[in-house]
Amino acid sequence: MRRFSAVVSSPLFVCRVLSGIFWAAILSGCTGSGEGLDNSGRPLGEAAQLPLSAEFDSIQAHIFTPICSVCHAGGNAPEGLRLDAANSYNLLVGVASTQQPSTLRVRPGNPDSSYIIQKLEGTAAFGERMPFGGPYLPASTIAVVRQWITEGALRSPASVSAASFALSTTAPQDGDVLEAGPAQVMLGFTRDLDTNRIATADIRLQRIDLDDPQALGAAISATVAVPASNPRALLVIPGEPLVEGHYRVVIADPYGVGLADLDGRPLAGHAGGTNDVVIRFTVGSTR
Amino acid sequence: MSARIGWLGAALVVLLSWATAQPVRAEPYLAVRQDLKCNGCHVNPTGGGMRNDFGTAFSQHVLPAKPGGAGGWSGKVGDLLRLGGNLRTGWSSMEVPDQNSRRRFDLDEVRLYADFTLIPQQLAVYVDQRVAPGSAQTQEAYVRYGDSTGWYLKGGKFYLPFGWRLEDDTAFVRQTTGINMATPDTGVELGYESGSWSTQIALTQGSGNAQADSGHQVVGQAVWVQPLWRLGAAASFTESELGDRRMAGVFAGLHTGPVSWLGEVDFIRDEGFLPQTREFAVAIGELNWMVRGGHNLKLTAEFFDADRDVDENEQNRWSVVYEVTPLPFMQIRVGHRRYEGIPQNDLQNRRLTFVELHGFF
Repeated sequence: MRRFSAVVSSPLFVCRVLSGIFWAAILSGCTGSGEGLDNSGRPLGEAAQLPLSAEFDSIQAHIFTPICSVCHAGGNAPEGLRLDAANSYNLLVGVASTQQPSTLRVRPGNPDSSYIIQKLEGTAAFGERMPFGGPYLPASTIAVVRQWITEGALRSPASVSAASFALSTTAPQDGDVLEAGPAQVMLGFTRDLDTNRIATADIRLQRIDLDDPQALGAAISATVAVPASNPRALLVIPGEPLVEGHYRVVIADPYGVGLADLDGRPLAGHAGGTNDVVIRFTVGSTR
Repeated sequence: MSARIGWLGAALVVLLSWATAQPVRAEPYLAVRQDLKCNGCHVNPTGGGMRNDFGTAFSQHVLPAKPGGAGGWSGKVGDLLRLGGNLRTGWSSMEVPDQNSRRRFDLDEVRLYADFTLIPQQLAVYVDQRVAPGSAQTQEAYVRYGDSTGWYLKGGKFYLPFGWRLEDDTAFVRQTTGINMATPDTGVELGYESGSWSTQIALTQGSGNAQADSGHQVVGQAVWVQPLWRLGAAASFTESELGDRRMAGVFAGLHTGPVSWLGEVDFIRDEGFLPQTREFAVAIGELNWMVRGGHNLKLTAEFFDADRDVDENEQNRWSVVYEVTPLPFMQIRVGHRRYEGIPQNDLQNRRLTFVELHGFF
């Protein structure tokens, strides 16, 4: 051990290590070329490329995904706020801030009372100005977020009515092909779910045969839950790993007593069982 | 004009710093250089925050270019109370391609620490309160129980043990893991400090579960500390309603003459990105060269792969920081960070130049 100490303390050793690090740094200068990627570093085509405008999807693509979700994503997201595309809307709009529970993160119609604006502008009472460590968003960019909130903080003004109770997003999305079976299927809605109605809803996870589309799917046991942190999301959690194959999630409502929001609105275009919601996805390369 | 004022301001900060001046928060390279564990200098067994008797003496008599004399601040107020604090302020210039440069002064943070000894050598209450900017916010607040066997238990709100507790919270390894000195968590931590080993395991709520009624995080690390070098391994599992996260990392330190080396590599697997999981890889290498007493040159190289299944998305960050500790309790840091990422994302290719004055007591 003494000999080792003498060796690593010698100037020659230090020079060699310095030299090694230098060349390692040169060789590992492996910054991505960005080829085939969008501004967020995601493969082209994965998300729509929109100019920055006061619409949620545009704000997601230009601000939340490329800037905020570097930290605000995954199981360790600060303050439980995930700003990746699958979760951000449901964790922002109408949800109380954890740092200042009396203030909503986004209060539709009122940007000054929205915590996200306070955090972006550096006027929040608690914590760091965001984005953490800077650079902070230009006033013109924050103005776009303000405008989106002023106009009601809609999920997607072009397709979703603020008054309706509708499915706004799913993950996986209909038609997705996944490399591995998802741990859960997430259904996002435009309004808070009435959790008392979950038990009466007919929600099924099925394995299906694409060659025989009329056949009834093979039922797969699954747990259905509304996460406490996100009352607009419904999780369908398989009771077993989803192996290679085709699957679908069906929300049926033959008796008009299924999913509803807190005001008792049934799912848009869904009452009476005539328009079941169906999300199909494939695990593996099955054709 | 504004640029000239900015540079003038920066020069003023440096001058003021030299004339009045103070040093560092958690700086693991100092532990490597001195062959110490984190608890060698800090009250907190996992490092950071308030310094203990040795840490306070070290910052007065060893760290500065001009050591202080006897009789300086010890942090002790009587036998049962220790106080401390931290202030960081400075000037920075951020340059983003195709955007106007932003140059500004900021009061980064002011923190106050207190450690109340309830039963000497056994039971204490520790508080780390951020008092500025903005409203007061508790960063850490926990009860700590330990005895001469090396075991300790703490419960409350605290920073999690995972890898190097770097001074720079914006380092890729600290940002991406979500375990840094801006994201404390609430729970309990069990630790064992003995001989060559420093180990901790914590069960907490998980910062990602801040609004959830359920979910938890289990995080731990073990460090084998030897003369001149050390090797550690860390792991974390977060159960969350919206997707679990697993992390694993290895980190090491080596002390060769005037140079201290730090390295850390972490792998993260996240189920939070639907419809599929996403895997990240992140690494840092840091060199600290003690040019002479009170002068340290810090060079860091960092790597971040934001999705291992996606090619050509890798990012790097390079930093050069010169740290001068002219007097006890004061440090001046001048640095430049260069971010390199995909060309279509301007923010991934920004430059940061900063001058920071850091004082503590």
